[in-house]
Amino acid sequence: MIRHECLELLAARMTDQLVVTSQSGQRIEWAHLSKHEGNLLVGMMGCAVGVATGLALALPHRKVIALESDGSVLLSLFNLPTLGNLRPKNLVVYVFDNEVYSGSRISYPTATSGNTDLEAMAKGAGIVNAVTIRNVEQFKKDGLAALERSELSFIVCKVEESLLHREIPRPDTDLAENKYTFVRYLERTEEKRIPFIGRG
Amino acid sequence: MQDQLAKRLVQSFKDAGVDFVTYLPETRLSQIIPLIRDDPDMELVAASSEQEAVTIAAGATLGGKQAAVYMENTGIFVSSYGLLTVGKQLGVPILLIIGFLGGVPDQRNSFLYATIGKHTIPVLQGMGIDYMQFDDTTNLEGRVKDAVRGANALRGPFALLFAGEFSE
Repeated sequence: MIRHECLELLAARMTDQLVVTSQSGQRIEWAHLSKHEGNLLVGMMGCAVGVATGLALALPHRKVIALESDGSVLLSLFNLPTLGNLRPKNLVVYVFDNEVYSGSRISYPTATSGNTDLEAMAKGAGIVNAVTIRNVEQFKKDGLAALERSELSFIVCKVEESLLHREIPRPDTDLAENKYTFVRYLERTEEKRIPFIGRG
Repeated sequence: MQDQLAKRLVQSFKDAGVDFVTYLPETRLSQIIPLIRDDPDMELVAASSEQEAVTIAAGATLGGKQAAVYMENTGIFVSSYGLLTVGKQLGVPILLIIGFLGGVPDQRNSFLYATIGKHTIPVLQGMGIDYMQFDDTTNLEGRVKDAVRGANALRGPFALLFAGEFSE
């Protein structure tokens, strides 16, 4: 299974969900697969789950999805106990775990290629619905089912390293442009004003 | 900090529109935590790291909240990555409510915090984060409102450093 296969399946299910991506090839792949205004392409490692958690708490009636990588989650393990206690029902975290620091271009192994089990860590932190997915059929069943559940889900997808994202054009959207598109989309769909958006 | 001062401080945050607070507690301002927790108009979220507290607050801001992070000034160093990336680079307003330990006005200063205190303001300046220092309550409410307005106008973190009377 490669990450792009999973993202294609996810993209086909998108309606009004809010999707926050971290920095890795999945950010490029997701931006290519989905042009939805509810995508927030956060381009920093270790920040997507936190931002997604804040969104999920601020908008408890909206489904929020974080697209993460093993390296990024390992950089922000403090999120696990917080999620394990908050358990926001509207948040789904997908971790595409290729067991290497692929973005470094030398693909040295991450801790998950050795003895570290992210599902077990999530469960130990209090995230009840944590699961590891190892093939596309299982992703179609258990991975996509998380979108329908009203329960915090932490889905670790064991994927082969793929360099497909290097053949895909990078998103041409500036960070600020993406942010304003995102919050304007929220203003429109939530029928509320986002306080920091200026009125000139 | 006196209980009455804690109440006044929390009210000043409310009056400035703050309705969402992430935190890691510290010693100087911790009396504000139960007051925020018990306030039906404010949401309080415990974080495991100041870096996480900053990212959660950023997400809440994007979702329509007027978010703040309460932390010790040691948390500035821990969260500098989030402050620069999500805060400054993405441009998300976040009010930082900081117990300013180790500075000259800290009434409980000791060698344990002096180095942290000495480097706090230079690090904020280095990151280009605007700040106000509060050593007493002069125009407290007005200055807090100014800070929230400043964070929103500048689209970035804005730090409030509490020492002096707030550290007694």
